[in-house]
Amino acid sequence: MGKDIREDIAWAQINKDVLKSLESPRKLYWVIIFVALLVFSVGVGCEIYQYNTGMGVANMDNPHVWGLYIASFIFWIGMSHSGTLLSAILHLMHADWRKPIYRFAEAMTTFSLLTAGLFVAVHLGRLWQVYYALPYPSERWIWPNFQSPLLWDAMAIFTYLSSSILFLYIGSIPDLAICRDNIHQGWRKKLYTLLALGWEGTDRQWRNFRVTYLTIACFLIPLAVSVHSIVASDFAMSQQPGWHVTSFPPYFVAGALYSGCAAIITLFIILRYVFRFEEYMTLPILKKTVRLTFAIAMVWTYLNCIEFASVWYSHDQVAKDVLIQKATGTYAPFWWAMIFCGSVVPFAMMVKKWQTNIPVMFAVSLLLNLGMWLERWMIVAPTFSHGYYPWTWDHDQWPSLIQWGIVFGSFGWFTLLFMVFCKIVPSVSMYEVKEMVYHRSQARKKEERAVQEELAVKGAH
Amino acid sequence: MSVSNLLENWSKFRHTHPVDDKGIPDWEAYPSDIKWAMSIDLDACTGCNACSVACYAENNLPVVGKDKYSHGQAMHWMRVERYWDEGDNGFQAEQGARFLPMMCQQCEAAPCETVCPVGATNHTEDGLNSQIYNRCIGSRYCSANCPYKVRYFNWYNYPEQENAWPAPLNQQLNPDLTVRTKGVMEKCTFCKQRTYTARNNAKTEGRPVQDSDVQTACQEACPAGAITFGNLHNPESQVAKQWQSQQVDLIKDIQEKDEKEGNRLRGYRVLEELRPYPSVMYLERVRESAV
Amino acid sequence: MTENDFSRRDFLKVLGWGGTAVALSGCGNTSIQDGQETVTSYVTLPSYVTPSISNYFNSTCAQCDAGCNIMGRVREGRVLKAEGNPNSPINRGRMCGLGLSGVQAHYNPDRVREPLLRTGDKGETITWDKALGLINEKLNGTKGTEIAFVTGGMSGHVQALLGNYMDELGSKNHFSYEAISPAVLRAANKKAYGESMPRYRIDKARVVVSFGADFLGAWVSPVHFSQQYAQFRKGSRPEGRGVLVQIEPKMTLTGANADRWIAVRPGTEGVLALGIINALGKAGLSIPADIAAVSHEYTTERTSKETDVSAEQIEKLAALLKERTPSLVLAGGAAEGYAHGSQNAAAIALLNRVLGNVGKTLEASASVPFPQIAPTVGSRSSLIALNDGLAAGKYKVVFSYGVNPVFSAPASMKFKDNFAKADFKVAFAQYMDETALAADLILPLDSAMEDWATVVPEYMAAPEGAGSNAYAQMSFRQPMMEKVFPDTRGVGDILLALLKQRTADKYKEFEDFYSYLRSAVLKNKVALGGKAGDDDEVFWNETLSKGIVPLKGIAGSVSAKASAAGLKLPVPTDADPSYPLRLIPAVSASMRDGRNANEPWLQESPDPLTTIVWDSWVEINPKTAAKLGIVEGDIVEVTSKSGSIKTQAYLFPGIHPDAVSVPVGYGHEAMGRYARGVGANVFGMLDSVFDKETGELALNETSVKISKTGQRVIIVKEEGPVGGSQAGKPKIAVQVSADKVDLSKEV
Repeated sequence: MGKDIREDIAWAQINKDVLKSLESPRKLYWVIIFVALLVFSVGVGCEIYQYNTGMGVANMDNPHVWGLYIASFIFWIGMSHSGTLLSAILHLMHADWRKPIYRFAEAMTTFSLLTAGLFVAVHLGRLWQVYYALPYPSERWIWPNFQSPLLWDAMAIFTYLSSSILFLYIGSIPDLAICRDNIHQGWRKKLYTLLALGWEGTDRQWRNFRVTYLTIACFLIPLAVSVHSIVASDFAMSQQPGWHVTSFPPYFVAGALYSGCAAIITLFIILRYVFRFEEYMTLPILKKTVRLTFAIAMVWTYLNCIEFASVWYSHDQVAKDVLIQKATGTYAPFWWAMIFCGSVVPFAMMVKKWQTNIPVMFAVSLLLNLGMWLERWMIVAPTFSHGYYPWTWDHDQWPSLIQWGIVFGSFGWFTLLFMVFCKIVPSVSMYEVKEMVYHRSQARKKEERAVQEELAVKGAH
Repeated sequence: MSVSNLLENWSKFRHTHPVDDKGIPDWEAYPSDIKWAMSIDLDACTGCNACSVACYAENNLPVVGKDKYSHGQAMHWMRVERYWDEGDNGFQAEQGARFLPMMCQQCEAAPCETVCPVGATNHTEDGLNSQIYNRCIGSRYCSANCPYKVRYFNWYNYPEQENAWPAPLNQQLNPDLTVRTKGVMEKCTFCKQRTYTARNNAKTEGRPVQDSDVQTACQEACPAGAITFGNLHNPESQVAKQWQSQQVDLIKDIQEKDEKEGNRLRGYRVLEELRPYPSVMYLERVRESAV
Repeated sequence: MTENDFSRRDFLKVLGWGGTAVALSGCGNTSIQDGQETVTSYVTLPSYVTPSISNYFNSTCAQCDAGCNIMGRVREGRVLKAEGNPNSPINRGRMCGLGLSGVQAHYNPDRVREPLLRTGDKGETITWDKALGLINEKLNGTKGTEIAFVTGGMSGHVQALLGNYMDELGSKNHFSYEAISPAVLRAANKKAYGESMPRYRIDKARVVVSFGADFLGAWVSPVHFSQQYAQFRKGSRPEGRGVLVQIEPKMTLTGANADRWIAVRPGTEGVLALGIINALGKAGLSIPADIAAVSHEYTTERTSKETDVSAEQIEKLAALLKERTPSLVLAGGAAEGYAHGSQNAAAIALLNRVLGNVGKTLEASASVPFPQIAPTVGSRSSLIALNDGLAAGKYKVVFSYGVNPVFSAPASMKFKDNFAKADFKVAFAQYMDETALAADLILPLDSAMEDWATVVPEYMAAPEGAGSNAYAQMSFRQPMMEKVFPDTRGVGDILLALLKQRTADKYKEFEDFYSYLRSAVLKNKVALGGKAGDDDEVFWNETLSKGIVPLKGIAGSVSAKASAAGLKLPVPTDADPSYPLRLIPAVSASMRDGRNANEPWLQESPDPLTTIVWDSWVEINPKTAAKLGIVEGDIVEVTSKSGSIKTQAYLFPGIHPDAVSVPVGYGHEAMGRYARGVGANVFGMLDSVFDKETGELALNETSVKISKTGQRVIIVKEEGPVGGSQAGKPKIAVQVSADKVDLSKEV
């Protein structure tokens, strides 16, 4: 295994390389932006039509009142989790290999939360009244219903979103100052000046910065776990077969980390190429990420099996029927595809040769995410089609093109936000990479010194 | 707006139900002397659908047309289900079909009520599960959590864009209640507009509500008189007598009589075991064994 | 039509002052009729109008011929809903879905709004004066024998007026046509009991055996029979819970409610009836000799073989009938729609005699004392007579009112072509239906909620109590609100105007039909329950506000004179191999003969048995379907010797394997937005086979074959993918055996 990063990169070189990414990415960048815009506008078009005509155009019905929107909502929420994992958890665990990649992972967190938020809006029958769900001061003393998991959801997501934006921003301040100092004109200069908050890199500032960053990291970890647990409560707190499963919260969290890690691999590969980050986003780091993903995949698979087993061995016949229906009914192809993508494909990550093979890992990461998206769909839809009441069973519900269009568009929206961000804010943390290089070179020197000393001792004999 | 108000309302909200947090029945705490309930005799029900049409007429339900019906977007608050006896070789018709009129069961511990993010569906003091159209934002969580799937969502703007009542059909609309626009949930209200008027009239006259004061539209139409509706709190009401004689207790999820050997009563509630405490009792369909 | 506006309004005001259940629709300031509004403050309301409080007008339902008494709920000048009149002995305050949909006929957006004259292929709007003038012109110089009038079943003063008009024209060609009519039943009843429509007392019977009589769905007076049925099912009644056995090849709504539904081979109902008599004899019941002489041939084995009903079942049924009396045996359309339909009905009637039901559960009815308003009942045979006359070119001017023969006549009759042979065809129409489209002049009719009429029901239900054997009634139909479309007219007004063309003097005192009706009622004040000294105004208002006029009718009598003499039932033959299946056109409670197909509530109200909406279907027994390789949703072609239709296949357990069934009333090519193009018209493909005695079209005599077209659809229906299965859930639609419950103490 090679080194995570070359210890001999000069700090100036790091600045130069990363700042270059803000200015001259490869052509592929523009292709991606263009495609994302296109995809996003498809989604916008669909939403305008749906907004004006009614939710019926999504081809939802009674009992299928929720569709891909809720499934995609969970998917995007889930994806946000690995940013926190990489930056906060690994930060606390002093795994320094995270340093070149945590910034974009955090950005991914923020933007996937923003995307998830879109689905809340898209899903509502009366989007224009969405503020009813907020506990705003009302003359009539009308409150939202604090019993509703959906409300917990709204609050958790809002908190998580604001915290992760804060986390992302604070972590970027030293880098923004570098940008400010290296760019001499235009709107960017003004922007960076504003955002850098007068960062000078004094000792006092660094101390305060460290403490703040650590505090938010500590705050964010339970928050991240709670957010997806609460999303899981939307289902686990309901009374529906296939949903009221006690193990849903950890299962959802594991699924979230899983899809997030898979998405990090995808974006890692794209950014590495687009912004010429080969020096920083190195294959050994990829390898570590892949191994982490594999571990989470196994946790998810385990929890998945637990869920099946607890349903299977329970006396809840209805829930059991739903499970059987998932495996044998209309949704069977998707359900088995989910099992395949989520629990079989990850074994490709065990093959050492493939762990650093970029095309293979790219494909695998996409498949994993497909699997995780399917998982969300398979949680939502089959319960509707095979609930308590046989008369309303409905095995033929298929989302309309409008629904697919909006789901499709959300990927464009996410990509657009993400890529624009990477062009404006350094997607590799310069100061942390410098730290990493410094620490590694120190460690190496220490090692070399030890060897020399040992040799010296040997030579003395 | 005050937090104390929130907390006050909270406890009041909980106590609207005769079943408290621990599942212990507490009729004393019931805030009103009215609890609307229904009973449907499946042995009298002929499955003719008159109730359903009466509901369309009374409650301004839109006709959605074939295309939307095929997508499961029908708006019938009252649907008549038809089941067959099941044998080894598929469905059996020798004892006819079984019909079951199904509408909102006005559960006392309604799964729909707790999940609504904006509190658009609430328990009323007279024991109904209300739906506030103005407040509804269309999250559809209530329907997702309804075991009976008797909530109907306005997938389209039926009154205007879909022209569900082309003039002059719109002149038929009942002015006692609204037409619903797109994006809100709706369901059977036990003919809220009728019960409300009956309550007001009785109050004006300074007497309790009687059976003769109010009929739901479905009950009024039912050619076989299979539907009984009234105040379960009033021991003189027909519905209370029926519930009592059938030994069906609103606040139990397992009825004692069902546990006993040789139970010869036929009152039951659908999906009672899920503990929503539904307010509709059905009487089992009876079939003669001698022929 | 503005000239009679004033009088009507004044009249309605009087009603309000009377303080009865009736008051003026609207506050009297707005006239939808003449499209003008008089702006008057709503603060000064007439005394009988309270905003937001409904007024109720008593009237009579016009959706089918049962003549249920209804109350129109009226708010601020609009009728909102039809509700049952609780004082009615017919429907006792109840309604069916069909009746409830009457408001949709009233407010229907597809109603004809102005008189239309056909010129070539185009229609042209004309004035009423011109339209009536044109009729006058055409009639001048046309002999009475060349004029024909085709209507549905009629009664009351409109019928009297029509009779007068026909007399003035010198025509005897009034054809009363009903596409679905109990004509065979009437004839058989007359023969067997001495009365064509005796009172059935399902509520008194302990056992009801119905041979295809869909009395809960579409037979004779379904809402009334549903009342009786509710009584019949009560375990607390002295007779105990009644047992219903339904014998028919295709399950009707009544069959779906039976304790035992017996799928009989189509056409062998009479054989089964005789087989049951034989079994009753074996069980020890004494059978009159004349009947025994016929029935002894029908041994249980033979009956079982011919009817496809198991011997055990026949014996069980006989045992039940013997043990539980009184019983009631009914014969309905499913048993009567054959060339030997009358014979079937006669054989079934024997059962009532053998079981001693006549006089107990079959009671004498009563008829109204005024023959000119007594109902003229419709039948198919009269259409055949009309058709023959048209084909021969006998009729030059033809009027049609309230019927749609172009839609409902079998294609083999070529009615449309024959109709076209008449020089001048006038359709009194509410919709541009198929017959109106084929007419030369279309006169737009008022809806039943805008018009005046009196109705005498054919099936005369009576309230309980003394004098019920002589109880007869006349019901009022009155406007519940101003006209929706200003230029439509009531049929009575049109007839009166036409009469005035012929003989102005006789009718000059009647400004409109309302004044004619009023004076006719007042003239008979005493016979209609008033006293000679009563004030006319008060009497009229009170009568009208009740909506029901009980009459001292002419009591009929029933006797058990059903005889087996001359009874000859055909031995069932093997099916024609090229048309192996028997087609049973099904009459559903809501769609009936299709005249109400443009009422959207009915289209969206699922068929109770198949739960299908907005389309036709063909019901096939799953066994037959498996043999033919047909699955649900296959578009199949149903072909008879006379025609074919394409429709979706529905696998249905409630049908005999030798039969298939398609509902009638669908497949309109015209009529309106809700009816047009929905489903297929099965009337068109019926063979022209007639009942040998009554000449009635034998609806069930068509044999068909079924072939797949290769197309498949997802049937639009209410039930889900598991059909009628409860998927093992213990507590959804629960059924219990009668011996497991104690019903006697139920409240």
